[in-house]
Amino acid sequence: METGWYPVALAEGLERGTSTGARLFGRELVVWRDSAGASHVWEDRCPHRGMRLSFGFVRDNHIVCLYHGWQYDTAAQCRYIPAHPDLAVPSTIRVATYPSIERLGIVWAYNELDSGAPQDIGFAERAPVTPVRSLYVDASAAKVFDALVLAECPSLKNAGGATQRSRTDALVSLKRGGDEILVAVQPLSDVEAALHIVIAGPPDVHSGDSQKRVSAWGEALRREIEGAARPTGEVHHGVAP
Amino acid sequence: MQGATVIVFAGQFRVDSFVEFVNHRAQRLQLDAVVETATPDCIEVAVSGQPALVDAFEMACSLGPIDCLVRDVWRKNASA
Repeated sequence: METGWYPVALAEGLERGTSTGARLFGRELVVWRDSAGASHVWEDRCPHRGMRLSFGFVRDNHIVCLYHGWQYDTAAQCRYIPAHPDLAVPSTIRVATYPSIERLGIVWAYNELDSGAPQDIGFAERAPVTPVRSLYVDASAAKVFDALVLAECPSLKNAGGATQRSRTDALVSLKRGGDEILVAVQPLSDVEAALHIVIAGPPDVHSGDSQKRVSAWGEALRREIEGAARPTGEVHHGVAP
Repeated sequence: MQGATVIVFAGQFRVDSFVEFVNHRAQRLQLDAVVETATPDCIEVAVSGQPALVDAFEMACSLGPIDCLVRDVWRKNASA
């Protein structure tokens, strides 16, 4: 497991006041967004009884464990225990957290619990992106990268020439003419990965038809990867228009 | 430890494992805890802090780590 920044969710799919579960290298994470709009990535475990916080719910700027209602603020500090409403909750009762950031329409986590100041993420924010979808693949992240190295950028608005490919950490860019899609690869485990796909460019240009094309492209890529991952499986090479 | 509650755990213990568990839970609950007796069948812990958290500590330790079995728990008179 390499320490660094990894995608854990599409930012658009994480609405205010909601939580969801994610995995990174087999570890379970809760990804949640508070009422002010900030996202958080923590260990998916309540310090009380080990319940998954992703099963809990968000109230204002607290995430609440479904089991006994312990509430945690945005700094992961327990602030309220319903069974002991007058208790001064010790500062030692807190959830382990991952540094996180939103870039390119994706929530990223630095995969070192309670780490201090991590290295900067390797790519800058840029003009608006159009989220497409997340896809789950029964293959390792390494196999996904192998496939992306050979993948063609689907034709969108301004296609032309050959596909240019580049990779920065867990992010792959496929560019052809004026079209560019970005694929962030999340290693779920040794044999599973997730792809978070966005189009470089604003939604008013790319929502609708371009999103459908890229979504179909992603599905075709998944079939190809999973076919290649199975020794005797059927291999699909087709890429949807 | 002045004002401490002494909690006695009786059962079958791997002493190192249970003492580690006791110290971890005490730290988590911000309690002062001193292990006064530690044998394979009896662990005594003097613990002080907020009463609700002392109760929580007792409950947590009554479950104990996987390699220990707590059969009985009681409290002795607080130390002077």
